[in-house]
Amino acid sequence: MQVERWQHERAFDFARRKAAGKVKPPALQMAADPGPGRGSGPIYDLRLKVAVESFIINLLNGLSWGMLLFLISVGLTIRIIWGPGYHVVDPPAILSGVFSIFNQTYPVYRVFLVVAGPLIGLALWSFFQLTRWGKIIRAAAVDREMAEGIGIRVPILFTAVFALGTWLAAIGGALAAPHQSLAPSMGERIIIESFIVVVSGGMGSFPGAFVGALALGLFESFGTVFLGSAQMAVPYILLATVLLIRPHGFFGREL
Amino acid sequence: MRTDKPISTIIFSLAALAFLSASPFVLPVYWTLILTEILIMGLFAMSFNLLLGYTGLLSFGQAGFFGVGAYATALLISRGGNSLFLCLLISLSSGAAAAGVIGYFCVRRDEIYFAMITLAFGMMLFTVAHSWIKLTGGSDGLPLMSIPSVRMFGIEFSLFNPTNMFLFVLSVTSACILFLWRLVRSPFGLMLTAIRENKQRLSFVGAGVQNLRLAAFVIAGALAGVAGGLFSLFNSMATPDFMHWGFSARPVLMTILGGSNIFFGPMLGAAVFFGLEQVITNITENWMIFLGLILTPVVIFFPRGILGTLVHYLFKKKKIKP
Amino acid sequence: MSEAPILKIENLGHSYGRYMVIHDISIEVFSGDMAALIGPNGAGKTTFYNTVTGRFPPTRGRVYFNGQEITGLPAHKLVPMGLLRSFQITNIFPNLTVIENVLVPLVLHYRKGYSFLRALSGEKKLYRKAEEILDKVGILESADRPANELAYGDKRLVEMAIVLARNPKLVMLDEPTAGMNPEETERTIRLIKELAIRFGTTFFLTEHDMKVVFAVAKQIYVLHQGELIAQGDPETIRADPKVREAYLGGSVND
Repeated sequence: MQVERWQHERAFDFARRKAAGKVKPPALQMAADPGPGRGSGPIYDLRLKVAVESFIINLLNGLSWGMLLFLISVGLTIRIIWGPGYHVVDPPAILSGVFSIFNQTYPVYRVFLVVAGPLIGLALWSFFQLTRWGKIIRAAAVDREMAEGIGIRVPILFTAVFALGTWLAAIGGALAAPHQSLAPSMGERIIIESFIVVVSGGMGSFPGAFVGALALGLFESFGTVFLGSAQMAVPYILLATVLLIRPHGFFGREL
Repeated sequence: MRTDKPISTIIFSLAALAFLSASPFVLPVYWTLILTEILIMGLFAMSFNLLLGYTGLLSFGQAGFFGVGAYATALLISRGGNSLFLCLLISLSSGAAAAGVIGYFCVRRDEIYFAMITLAFGMMLFTVAHSWIKLTGGSDGLPLMSIPSVRMFGIEFSLFNPTNMFLFVLSVTSACILFLWRLVRSPFGLMLTAIRENKQRLSFVGAGVQNLRLAAFVIAGALAGVAGGLFSLFNSMATPDFMHWGFSARPVLMTILGGSNIFFGPMLGAAVFFGLEQVITNITENWMIFLGLILTPVVIFFPRGILGTLVHYLFKKKKIKP
Repeated sequence: MSEAPILKIENLGHSYGRYMVIHDISIEVFSGDMAALIGPNGAGKTTFYNTVTGRFPPTRGRVYFNGQEITGLPAHKLVPMGLLRSFQITNIFPNLTVIENVLVPLVLHYRKGYSFLRALSGEKKLYRKAEEILDKVGILESADRPANELAYGDKRLVEMAIVLARNPKLVMLDEPTAGMNPEETERTIRLIKELAIRFGTTFFLTEHDMKVVFAVAKQIYVLHQGELIAQGDPETIRADPKVREAYLGGSVND
């Protein structure tokens, strides 16, 4: 499968990262949620990305606005290269086609997504829960000064996490590409949905993100059926409801 | 908040007003139109800054109230309304009413939660505008078939004339800004800055912080509504995009550009924003990229915004201005 | 002297979950008193303080202020009644000038919080009052400086000024000398005494610095592991064996 990477994803990944305090699996939401499609761009070496981002991020670290503006403007470069129109991408041969289940045909690729998403999520969760690096990252997120005090190089660490998050966003985008067509504007919708998923699920919580994504996906799907044209308000109604009743989300801790 | 007479600001405003009043007679029509848009969006941004710079509330839903005001005027005219005064009045009150209802829920939450919940409600308003086609014309928007004229001294000034439109917008905007000026220098204004500075402390000296925030939110919504009404008159159109969170990002950008801790910061930010747009679109179609490239260093190196930094260096060692 | 107490605390108790932090505390403070609650760290002073001053309601017991029950009332409701508190961590309005810091409570006191068309600078009465307070507290010369530019000790004074601006009948101070050097502590001790005279305010301190308490207070309550183990005037407390035990023979004899 020729996976292509899109700069634009950095824009919405940033948004998620910001919302989640730098520890979030964007791909999880996208893969589990049969939402709008993703974009792609040329895949490039992770090290190169880290180098580039290291410079950029250290420059912009903590300056959320600057970063957002930069990313959005960079993302729009895509329009120059691929043009503003839609592109359709087919799934790789091994995952295309349909199979029948209960007398309904169901695309193989979707099943793949349903399986791949939670797997990635699980991998992420185990990384952060069980591995040494995961614990270091969580420690630095909880108390940055303390972490620096014991010798953890926090700026580099956060850069690495940002790179990881961006990479996951790319994976999410790539996975979703065959599912829906590509267009330069597709990152915009996912930004908001990611915020909503993260806030509903609880910031800093992977199980929360999973539940949040499922909740959003289900509400949206049912909304289309029952609410007609008002269905686009569903994510926002969910967001407002969560914020009013339990602002730290299903699994979040009291801030 | 300054407690002495801010001579410099007063002189600056009067000079600006004089200059602007004369401008449509000397500048090409093209620039008059741009200045009109700058004034309207600047007003919108300043209403936004009442919440951000003064009260410490980042609202991502102000576009919702802007849109409500725009549609209010559009609807009034489409049903035969012929009075500009009434248009503005209805834009103001609908913006205020929407802000009152929505704000009641939003002010209960702080910081990022507040930002998100305002975004959510703003987008709900957007959905209404987008989907209630019978009322709002859906995504095509609502056109304004006729624009009422200004009737003064027995003469009718048509607003289809850019000069008249500009002067009309200038007067309305100036009146609103004057109101804002009085507001931020009043005891209520002090309360708002106190909320920004330390809302816990404020509560512990006996203030109902929630209610104060709601009041600020309603005022900001009312002014956003007025700006929206002006905008729909200017564009002869009201569209749902006015309510989208992307549109809400504009006053945010303008305020950051110009400086949130200076009264006129957002207006200047609007001027820079549109000025840049004009300059860059002459060079290339993809002006947004350059906007990003320019805005990024501004945000990094001028956290007080352009005007904010200027003022800081001109009046060194002074504290935050109103 | 059988007047009603200005503050009456009856069997106050508070638990976090199943852990009882303070229990069965009963105290009476009379107008004009200078009372202090002392106890080592962890004794429950802050919990006591928070439940009485409206941060959160106590799980048990009642509090009366001037005869009115105020148990569990939030802080901003206690303020107009005349009960104010200060904060352990200096809690002022950092970017406002010192005089603006004091104008804030004054605006509220004179019920002008929603006055939005008159200029603040036109409220001469408020400014005079503010200057008066700053003068009494001793920081008038810093009136036009942003509050966060002041030294820590002066910030504490701004805090005091904010509290006193609302003309309280009872001021509860939470460890007022925390983080101060000996000179500042001296100044604060003198200030509290002077303010009590000048403003006629009743003060109730929680402290763990014994020296401050003995210098300032007339009525002392000793808290140990959530309970009151002693109360009385400084002499009584000094002589009390239970108190000595609680402090392990250390600072009591300072």
